[in-house]
Amino acid sequence: MIRLSPKLSQKFSYLILFLATTLAITPVIVIIFIIVKNGMSVINWEFLASMPKNGMRDGGVLPAIVGTFVIVTCTIILTLPTGLCAAIYLNEYARDNIFARVIKLGILNLAGVPSVVYGLFGFGIFVMFLKLGVSIIAGALTLSIMELPVIITTSRNALNSVPYSFREASWALGVSRWQTIRHIVLPNALPGIMTGAVLSIARISGETAPILFTAAAFYVPHLPHSIFDQVMTLPYHLYIISTQIPNMPNNIIFGTALILLVMVLAISFVAIFVRIYFRKHRKW
Amino acid sequence: MVDKIKVENLSCYYNKKCVLESLSINVIQNEILSIIGPSNSGKTTFLRTLNRMNDLDSIHSRKGEVYLDNNSIFDMDMEDLRRRIGMLFAMPTPLPMSIYENIVYAPKRLGLISKKPEQDALVVRALKDASLWNEVKDRLKSSAMEMSGGQQQRLCIARILAINPEVILFDEPCSGLDPISTAKIEESMIELKRKYTMVLVTNNVKQASRVSDRTAFFLMGKIIEIDTTDKMFVSPKERQTEDYITGRFG
Amino acid sequence: MRKIVDTIIEKIIFLCGISSVIFVILIFSFLFIESFVFFKDFSIIKFITGRYWYPDSKLALFGIFSLLVGSFLVTLGACLIAVPISIMTALYISEVASKNVRDILKSLVELMVAIPSVVIGFIGMIVLVPCVKKLFNIPTGLTAFSGSVMLAFMAMPTIVTISEDAIRSVPWQYKEGALALGATKWQTMRWIVLKTARPGIIAATMLGIGRVIGETMTVIMITGNSSRIPHSIFEPVRTMTAVIATEIGETVNGSMHYKALFSIGLVLFLITFLINFVADLFLEKNKNK
Repeated sequence: MIRLSPKLSQKFSYLILFLATTLAITPVIVIIFIIVKNGMSVINWEFLASMPKNGMRDGGVLPAIVGTFVIVTCTIILTLPTGLCAAIYLNEYARDNIFARVIKLGILNLAGVPSVVYGLFGFGIFVMFLKLGVSIIAGALTLSIMELPVIITTSRNALNSVPYSFREASWALGVSRWQTIRHIVLPNALPGIMTGAVLSIARISGETAPILFTAAAFYVPHLPHSIFDQVMTLPYHLYIISTQIPNMPNNIIFGTALILLVMVLAISFVAIFVRIYFRKHRKW
Repeated sequence: MVDKIKVENLSCYYNKKCVLESLSINVIQNEILSIIGPSNSGKTTFLRTLNRMNDLDSIHSRKGEVYLDNNSIFDMDMEDLRRRIGMLFAMPTPLPMSIYENIVYAPKRLGLISKKPEQDALVVRALKDASLWNEVKDRLKSSAMEMSGGQQQRLCIARILAINPEVILFDEPCSGLDPISTAKIEESMIELKRKYTMVLVTNNVKQASRVSDRTAFFLMGKIIEIDTTDKMFVSPKERQTEDYITGRFG
Repeated sequence: MRKIVDTIIEKIIFLCGISSVIFVILIFSFLFIESFVFFKDFSIIKFITGRYWYPDSKLALFGIFSLLVGSFLVTLGACLIAVPISIMTALYISEVASKNVRDILKSLVELMVAIPSVVIGFIGMIVLVPCVKKLFNIPTGLTAFSGSVMLAFMAMPTIVTISEDAIRSVPWQYKEGALALGATKWQTMRWIVLKTARPGIIAATMLGIGRVIGETMTVIMITGNSSRIPHSIFEPVRTMTAVIATEIGETVNGSMHYKALFSIGLVLFLITFLINFVADLFLEKNKNK
């Protein structure tokens, strides 16, 4: 074997590292490119604002868009306050004892559970045991438990980034712990909490497995009336039309995928924008 | 001469390690008591025990008693105690809001004031008492984070004055400041003596001699000597005190 | 009044704090109870080692061995692809690229996380599956290999991000020490940086595995869903997640089949719990360096 000089071997290695990096970022670009290229042609107002027709092979995706919106809203209403309170407890009140460690282990564990197992659990407890049936509320409950660890972790990091000296200054003035949290810690942690919440929204919007058997419906001829209705959602709709329906026109599938993609990416960009904006305007 | 604070056999521990050993000391009404000593002598721990800032620390434990006007501070409501005993930290700790809001923050939270004219009057009074009014009267709405270090520290004093405490604790308040700002703060302290009782922890022996009525010398968690400042600096009784004051160690 | 409000709010915050533990216990006990009932009627040994998953036949068989093999094969393939590429990418981003390039590369890598798994599955179906079929000249492109490729893309952001953190947390004194002895930058990376960051990189890999093993939609769409035990990576397979997702809707509540699916859920739960727990130990080790 030929031994390369250290200089040459460094150049060679950098080239390989560079190629690997290219390989790692190509898929994203390719996926986005393919979907935009093939999906653009069907996107128009009609497609966005009408019901599916002719066994999904024609018409629009309105109920799926509305359904995604409704279920995501319900989920975030359920999960954000709970997760935020849990983060406050862990960061502001919990002392470093066995009990706090058990809670941290619990969060770690929740974060690792596969989404389909959440679906299974949600089906067992909300749909069957609590008899909520396949419904928006059952799906939202399932999703909110799934998203809880993410919300807790991001909120906690946001709270933790507020300097400890702010708290001490407030306590030293005789202000109680809760008042300090409410008026000093929370306002300053808000951008971080918001960023986390918005990223969670993006993630929930794209989830399929947890709502597969807790909320999603193959086809509903009307928009949802109440939280006990079944619902069509974009990711589930994409799954259905790309696997279950024979002779499905490809451009409609691509169009649906494009709308889902744009929605999720747009939400993520909002989060990134919020983060950059507040980082620039932060006073401390 | 009334004892405002009386400390009896106070011992403090961090992780079972003793940092203050059965300390007994009193603070007289309307005096400035300085506490000097090298680092790690327990000065700050002592100060933070007086308004129970240490209580939130899970590895901290203590024995002994502290009385404020003959009532044990450990039986008092914690928030109430801190309202009566204010504290100024080593580094300026303005809250990330405007100068005006910094001052009305605590009185509002404590329910001391509510109406706008009351707030305005309070801000003026507190800033004047902390001799900061002339410098900031035109920019009360600007952020406190943009002030200079010395101004921030005086704002923190004004903030404490706004809740009308009885005692003010100073934890090396000038350690991060330039000589001019230091002089201004010392001026305010002497000014404030008429209304408040003060305890000053400082690394700066000269500062203690400039402002305080009495001085206590701490070493390794114990009081070596306590006396009027004049006596202490002219003829200390203990050898260690003399060595420290004259700069042989510390 | 103020005091009472404070106390009530603090109680609520405390309850939310323990909610995560309550949910973990709830999920675990729910899966455990259903599985326990199931294992009373169907031996746990036959469940794990049984080669046949015939839940509907008259004499129902619930052997998940083929599913375990399916999950294992897809995960292994994905790791073989994702781990080397990700570590190299992490090295490039943290040690070679300039600051501006680094930020762009990082955001591109993280963008992948945002893409929903159905979209990735769909692209796999349309683009990758026909390619695989033609390239390897096999009867179907719906294979474990196709799944591995797409899942590798999904695991990469996790592995890159966490490895990069680990690499960047290597103290600069270590690097300077090596550079001062005349080592090239690459030699320093190869022998000092990678070695010091190892616990973090291992944790990153494990978290990547955790993500792959639990992935459902992509796997359903492109691995073929055949519960025969595969002989190679170029045959269709079926994973545990796919079985749960495709069959739960068709079962009768309380039937053996229903309970069997919960038992698979329990197996998945335990596997991912173990993976995350170990990964966390490595991360702690990395932190305490």
